[in-house]
Amino acid sequence: MKLLIEAIGFGIATGAVIALGAVGFSVQFGISNVLNITYGSMMTLAAFVGYAFLQLNVNVWIVMAITSAVIGVASVVFNRILLEPLKRRGTSFVGIIIATVSAAIVLQYAIVVFVGATAHSFGEQSGRTLTVLDLVFTTSQVIIICTTVALMVGFHLLLTRTKIGRAMRATSTNRTVARACGIRTERIIDFTWLLSGAMCGAAGVALAITTVSFDFTLGSTFLIYMIAAAVLGGIGQPYGAMVGGLVVGIASQVAGAYWSPAYQDVIAFVILIIMLLVRPRGLFSAGAVTRRLANT
Amino acid sequence: MLTLGSSSANGAFQSYILGSRLPIVVALLAAMVVSGVLGCVVGVTGLKRLRQDYQAMIMLVVSIMATTVIGADQAIVNGNAGLSLIPNPLASLNGSARSWGYVALVAVVCVVAYAFLRRFTRGPLGRSLRAMRDDEDAAVAIGKNVVAMRLMVQGVGGAYAGLSGALLAGFIGGWSPSSWQYVETLALLTAIIVGGIGNDGGVLLGTVIVPVLILQGVQFLPQISGHPGLVEDFGWMILGLLTIAFIFVRSQGLVPERRSGSRPPGSRDLDAPAFAPVPVPVPVPVPVPVPARVPVPVPVAAPVPARVPRVSARVLDRTPPVPAEGVQGEDILVVRDLVRNFGGVRAVDGATFAVRRGSITGLIGPNGAGKSTVLGIVSGFIPASSGSVRFEGTEVTDVAAYRRARRGLVRTFQLPHEFGRLTTIENLLAAVPRQRGETAMSVLAGTRYWRAQERELTERAEQLLEMFAMGEKAGDLARELSGGQKRMLEVMRALMVEPKLLLLDEPMAGLSPMLSERLERVCTEMRAGGLSILFVEHELGAVERLCDHVVVMAQGKVLSQGSMADLRANKEVQDAYIVG
Repeated sequence: MKLLIEAIGFGIATGAVIALGAVGFSVQFGISNVLNITYGSMMTLAAFVGYAFLQLNVNVWIVMAITSAVIGVASVVFNRILLEPLKRRGTSFVGIIIATVSAAIVLQYAIVVFVGATAHSFGEQSGRTLTVLDLVFTTSQVIIICTTVALMVGFHLLLTRTKIGRAMRATSTNRTVARACGIRTERIIDFTWLLSGAMCGAAGVALAITTVSFDFTLGSTFLIYMIAAAVLGGIGQPYGAMVGGLVVGIASQVAGAYWSPAYQDVIAFVILIIMLLVRPRGLFSAGAVTRRLANT
Repeated sequence: MLTLGSSSANGAFQSYILGSRLPIVVALLAAMVVSGVLGCVVGVTGLKRLRQDYQAMIMLVVSIMATTVIGADQAIVNGNAGLSLIPNPLASLNGSARSWGYVALVAVVCVVAYAFLRRFTRGPLGRSLRAMRDDEDAAVAIGKNVVAMRLMVQGVGGAYAGLSGALLAGFIGGWSPSSWQYVETLALLTAIIVGGIGNDGGVLLGTVIVPVLILQGVQFLPQISGHPGLVEDFGWMILGLLTIAFIFVRSQGLVPERRSGSRPPGSRDLDAPAFAPVPVPVPVPVPVPVPARVPVPVPVAAPVPARVPRVSARVLDRTPPVPAEGVQGEDILVVRDLVRNFGGVRAVDGATFAVRRGSITGLIGPNGAGKSTVLGIVSGFIPASSGSVRFEGTEVTDVAAYRRARRGLVRTFQLPHEFGRLTTIENLLAAVPRQRGETAMSVLAGTRYWRAQERELTERAEQLLEMFAMGEKAGDLARELSGGQKRMLEVMRALMVEPKLLLLDEPMAGLSPMLSERLERVCTEMRAGGLSILFVEHELGAVERLCDHVVVMAQGKVLSQGSMADLRANKEVQDAYIVG
């Protein structure tokens, strides 16, 4: 029983990080219709950028905020110089995916070239702990969980209650028509990448905080969890990604505890594949949400 | 070539041959079979008709999963440590003789594999695969079993991956899951993209250039002191950049996909002026070759132009004979109490009607009446919530769409669904059911097995093209056709399937008066040849001229039916559609 509770506690903490990353990934995928494999490497980049700031004795949470901004801008640039031109050329969907895979490799090895393949650590493992219903969390885990929830709620409100959110959804559905309606789609796309990139940055730092040590493969190995969570919750849906993150996080930790840590990842994959086969639109089908929004 | 992944199959399955001191040929074959089967298993996950991006995700996940599972498994493949001391198949030789012997062995295997692949991709089978790649729905509509085709591709792809893995393991004498991951898969992709996706020759070129020049090449560069492995890291970066550069600048690769695939040897050059444009309008009721199950009486008065070749007797012989008399007037299609719900919306609400054999039946109604849904249900693309569809007296409600097409129930789409990267004539040829060149036998027996039939079919396709005055477009890529021409192509392609009942979904929409007139004429001729047509259309003039019988739908129900003249007089129909 204790093992289970521990695993669940760990799962929630992991789930929060997964959710944070998954939201960004999911929004990117949902709004700009790009399956961006580079997202994982961007997270790695975030971890190392954060690490660099940390060496300057900046508070770790301020580091997270700065890194978010940096990665946000980097994502906009990445989209502008690589993906948008490809789209304009009418590159096929698979072509764009391959381009993002390539970019992920380039970025990953660029990191190796600059900082080497050695492991680094944020050293945020210790500190005070908090006990909620037998579940033990470190302070940083609690902060990460709260940040995740806050960002998630904010994102959902942004998408559903604001004009720019509506413009984002319109752009995702049909860019040409959105532009014909007077939406400045380029700006909307930039804004989307800025936001999702910021999420990616925050997630990268959060991941680096919660793991004991990390190297250049940090993000790319984590990517699969985020994809699983995003798909589980339904692409483009912040709350969905949160639930998806929790499910994937807890399921993989519990499996790791009871079965074998080696199979921990496999659980995430199995969830993902089952979801894709059974309910590819995610637990919270997009159709229902759209209809509900249409009525408001 | 058609789907991502499959290389996932690579890593693991070589292990199968390990330890067992079987002759190399058996070992290689075993590796191929095992990974071929695994490729199929992976392919099954893609069977659900998912969006391309989701499919790509599945492939990505499966490949990572395979590596993880193998890494975690201690019993068979010794986990992440992998296997070592795999006996070299040429252990009896020594020194450089062994190395060069192995190189020779690999070369032989490569040549055989390449020859096989050429047969697989170059003939009608390859054409159908490329058609499926371009538009899966359209492939189903012309009777292709895309599930089987996809599994076949996965299987063959997996088998090739297994073969390459087995050869590699035999050469380096060891294997571990970590030696084949992300980046190695990217190297393969790079090779394919640089060489030219969709061209086996190009891929071959790419695999020579990319791994040999870049991955092996960098090892000969001097190492930068203090940074072990730095040069290799740069190698991977270059690989990624190269891929991006090619996608940007030359996405078709060094050797692009061939333009008109399987033009049969000896057929005349389709771009040659032999296909001068047919003067339009052509006042010629040409006997329609395709749906001619009943021998078509050629109208005596009709001046048949000499250069339109008559249908060859063999083509006619192949089509299953239909009892000539007594069939006209019988119902070829009976739709009863058809219902389809989309969530809470009842798009079709108890529709009942029939189509007589040899007639043109119109299906009209206001937008949202459920006409296209009915067409979708009849053709098998949309499952019915309840009700029944009977075709030629047989229940087909639960029959798969491609099987219905093979039985002669063929649809077209409201929006053009051309096979964009096939030429116009290839689009038509791909549609022919039961082609010899599509069978497994054709891969074994080679071109000779299907050449004669292919020539006949090409002739038939050329006749059809001339009927639609599109002969000069035969060699053009379908995606380069105009909107109207794509619609014509759609109809022609459906006709190549030899339909008994043709379902046309708003074929006139967006056609110029000239083209729609041509289409009307063709429809009339087809009817004379015994074809039945169900025709969804908003252009009431055309409906009036063409249709023997008209069904009016509104709000998912059949409102009324009869001749167009009757319907115009009907107050209810007027209110629902014609006026309102």
